[in-house]
Amino acid sequence: MKKTVYIRFTIILLIVGFMLAVQYNTVQNPETRDTRDIWAIRQELSKETETHSELLSEVYMLDQTILKYGNMVSESAAFALEDTVVQLKEDIGLVDYTGPGLTIKVEPSLESIALGQPVEGISPDLLIRLINEINRFKAKDIEVDGKRIIYSSPIRDVNGKTTVNNIPVRNAPFMIRIGTSTYDEAQKMYNQLEASTIGDDFYIDNLKLKIGEPEQIIRISAYDQPVNNHFLKEVPEGES
Amino acid sequence: MWLPLLGLILGISLGLLTEMQVPEIYESYLSIAVLAALDTLFGGIRAHLQHVYDDKVFVSGFFFNIALAAALAFLGVHLGIDLYLAAIFAFGVRLFQNIAVIRRIMLTKWSERKKQ
Repeated sequence: MKKTVYIRFTIILLIVGFMLAVQYNTVQNPETRDTRDIWAIRQELSKETETHSELLSEVYMLDQTILKYGNMVSESAAFALEDTVVQLKEDIGLVDYTGPGLTIKVEPSLESIALGQPVEGISPDLLIRLINEINRFKAKDIEVDGKRIIYSSPIRDVNGKTTVNNIPVRNAPFMIRIGTSTYDEAQKMYNQLEASTIGDDFYIDNLKLKIGEPEQIIRISAYDQPVNNHFLKEVPEGES
Repeated sequence: MWLPLLGLILGISLGLLTEMQVPEIYESYLSIAVLAALDTLFGGIRAHLQHVYDDKVFVSGFFFNIALAAALAFLGVHLGIDLYLAAIFAFGVRLFQNIAVIRRIMLTKWSERKKQ
């Protein structure tokens, strides 16, 4: 009698154990089917490669800085720091830019001129869209109608006027200057902007984007307003 | 005594080694079935300790409870009511009660043995 009971229990426990293990398997590593096709995988791969090369170039730059600091210890640490400050200022747009880039001219569309429609200013949404698009194509420095765009530049509507850095943007025509790291990048940006659909969005607002040829040297003025910093405080001189 | 434990270990290793998985939509059915199985198992152990164990009740209860729980979950899914919660609640409460009874019986046995 007792033996049969044990056998029953054993069989039941075997089933319970099996069910528990299957449940554990299911919860721990749910099977997700990879439904990407070869093109999706290729695209992902190219994206990853791009990130890889970007990271490599960043590592290279930081390595250079470390090397410079190392060399400067014997010479002058202050010089190295100054160099970094200049670099940082350049990065955020506090100094004038001279280098390769291209110029975009925003002008009223031919139809609006022919029909005699009043020229209206560019809307903040459209300008933000354009700047996002330009940044997506890896622009280094951007200037809209003489106003340098930095990380904190506001683009908004003030009393019906679109402003950049709180200064109104002129009605069309006006210029947008874009600085790129190399001439090749400028060429690439030109092609990408030509191919992008952003021109159609401008056309809806009776505006036309005239994308200029890439140039070896363009000038972009520096950001001329004070930069507010909420988190970092300047250390008084003499302290460290 | 060791035979049931061996069965449990064998079942677990079998499940882990085969790397079997159930589709995500059937996951709740399996979890409820596991709960039902555990409930029946502890019920069986309790009945055995209380000397009221019946083979037929145990085996039929095991399969019937699993089937009923899965059916309840199935009905719940199709009616849009979380009926499986009812099963989880019922089985959970019973599981605790059974374990409590088993513990008490064990404690009584242990203290009796100590007296002797």
